[in-house]
Amino acid sequence: MKILEVENITKKFGDYVAVNSVSLKAEKGKILGVLGPNGAGKTTTIRMIMDIIAPDSGTITFNNGLSKESMKDRIGYLPEERGLYKKMKIDELLRFQGRLKSLSGKEADRRADMWLERMEITDWKKKKVEELSKGMQQKIQFIGTIFHNPDLLILDEPFGGLDPINANLIKDIILELKKQGAAILFSTHIMESAEKLCDEIILINKGELILSGPLSKVKEQFNKNNILLDYTGPDGFLNENAMIYKYNNYGNHVEIELNEHIKPQDFLKKIIDRVEIRKFELREPSLNDIFIEAVGKKNNGDRV
Amino acid sequence: MSKKIFAIIWREYVTRVRTKGFIIGTLITPVFMAIAFGGIFIFALLFTPETKKITVIDESGQIYNKMISMLNDTLKGGIPEYEWVLYKTDTVSADSAALHLQRMVMSKEIDAYLNIPENIYTEKKVRYSARSVSDWEELAKIDRAISRIVTDHYLTLKGVSPDSIRAVFEKGKIELITHQVTDEGEVSKGSVSSFILTYILAYLLFLLVMIYGQIVSRSVIEEKSQRITETIVSSVKPVDLLVGKVTGICLLGLTQLFIIGLFFLLASAYAAYGFMSFGINSPELMEIMNEMKFSVPVFGFLLLYFLLGFLFYATIYAGIGSIVNTEDEAQQAQMALIFVIIISFFLMFSAAKAPESTMAYWISIVPLFSPVVGFARVAVTDPMLPDGIIISVIVLILSVIGTIWLVSKIYRVGILMYGKKPGIREIIRWMKHN
Repeated sequence: MKILEVENITKKFGDYVAVNSVSLKAEKGKILGVLGPNGAGKTTTIRMIMDIIAPDSGTITFNNGLSKESMKDRIGYLPEERGLYKKMKIDELLRFQGRLKSLSGKEADRRADMWLERMEITDWKKKKVEELSKGMQQKIQFIGTIFHNPDLLILDEPFGGLDPINANLIKDIILELKKQGAAILFSTHIMESAEKLCDEIILINKGELILSGPLSKVKEQFNKNNILLDYTGPDGFLNENAMIYKYNNYGNHVEIELNEHIKPQDFLKKIIDRVEIRKFELREPSLNDIFIEAVGKKNNGDRV
Repeated sequence: MSKKIFAIIWREYVTRVRTKGFIIGTLITPVFMAIAFGGIFIFALLFTPETKKITVIDESGQIYNKMISMLNDTLKGGIPEYEWVLYKTDTVSADSAALHLQRMVMSKEIDAYLNIPENIYTEKKVRYSARSVSDWEELAKIDRAISRIVTDHYLTLKGVSPDSIRAVFEKGKIELITHQVTDEGEVSKGSVSSFILTYILAYLLFLLVMIYGQIVSRSVIEEKSQRITETIVSSVKPVDLLVGKVTGICLLGLTQLFIIGLFFLLASAYAAYGFMSFGINSPELMEIMNEMKFSVPVFGFLLLYFLLGFLFYATIYAGIGSIVNTEDEAQQAQMALIFVIIISFFLMFSAAKAPESTMAYWISIVPLFSPVVGFARVAVTDPMLPDGIIISVIVLILSVIGTIWLVSKIYRVGILMYGKKPGIREIIRWMKHN
């Protein structure tokens, strides 16, 4: 079930096109990775969804019948640029944030207590923000983002600045919220974490959508007939020009990209008598590879 | 406008009202003001004057006796005001006498010496020499005494008795009693007291608007520099954040104004006892104290002008906060604003003197000046309302709304802009932007 649907939104700042006709949708119980290099337009896209800035054209629809204003209470947003009021006490701060999401003071207190317990920082509840470590402040910020049980969770680089233990804790909670049915928009430029968490991705570069779809489909699309081969003996088999598009030889390890119509099976048959094979592996592209290729191609294309 | 605005107001108010800075500031301000205003009176009255030793060279030989008989007042405590000595010039020349007296003044044996020339009736110049010649009251006294002696001399020459002339002048003396014409007839009103009260309250208004305006500015900069803004505006509209912030800090200012007002009320009620316990019993002072009363409309207008003036200036301060990144950067822009408020403070003096003048009328309509100047006009003409004060309030209300509208356009872009400070052109582009 769709929670959010964004269609062809465009945003210009003067002559600079920050976001150009980007579309996406967030579904219940799914994590959508919004990927792209720094300055691609991810944050601008999110700010338009959050109604912080208005798009020049395009539509943003919430499919639960709520208006933009009341929808704000159903969204949890963790911006990339984040901070807390240094002079406020933790419990007061969370109550304030709860009230900004239309929770009653009491309800906000109750939920804050629960989450502080879970994050093992209950002892710090009466302390001021400035007395906390950076990691603890990040946790408080995360509680403030999720403790009103949002239908839509927008996380902009949620693991930035967290140590592995806390990053893991946050990751577990994100997956838990997903299981409970939240639609999650996860923006990052770190592909490893996106690869592990996302069900679907969109890739934005220079304001334009260059890729979108379920992670597995995207990977398939970028599957390039890549082979990793460990061998012993002469490398004459690499002269099979009809089959090989390009290769990168390390002496006894070679990365081969086959021509499009060539099946790895046939290639193996052809060379099996000519070289001693120790390992033959079909390699799926990582999201990192896809990112570099898609973004690189696009940038080269722009230059031509 | 949503309910969330109350959460913003609550946060701005509560997190500040309990800080040490606010509590100390609130307690110190009335004490400080009491010292500043009351202290002037107290010190002037507590100051014990001493007998002044003045030596006179009377070359004419006709002035000295008459003069000292006129200047023979006694001071508090029964001591004489002046101790006069006549310098005998029978054996020495006036010049060497003066030289001698100069040394005595320098060595502080005497405070001053007078040199009355031989032909005083024609030359009419008397020299007064002292270590300092700034006591204009004393100079006027001596001037008056000698002038009278010279005048008497010429009256006698004309065959007229000076005493009879003086009796005539005495008969002709009148007293000008200030009355103010109001709707309910005439009321007597001291001009000094109404001006002092106006001055104190206008100063308070000016101080509070300036101080609290800067708090607003600082608050916006804090949210920007601590990267809090984006989290907040994802829950509330920027204009709600702006209005909530300004309102919350306004309430803080009203709290302080209320406490200071209460202090003044108590002070004016018990000031007489206070002065008496200091051993001061001055009828003039009591009269001023008695006339310095808060009338309800004046207090109402003080609140109204504080509220509107604060909202007007604080919104501009918030706009400044949103376009800069640090407090240092904000200071330059704030200087311009403080300058404008100070100008309105100076304009207040002229407006309080001539509250019905055309200039005072128009200045009290300009929203930049109307809080201080408009209030001053109300306070001085109390219990009557000066012309155009309703227009002044209406223009100010409209200006507040207009300023909020205009600044919110800058604010919602500015609060999310980091890095380079924008130029005027860029700010105008923000305002056009949707």
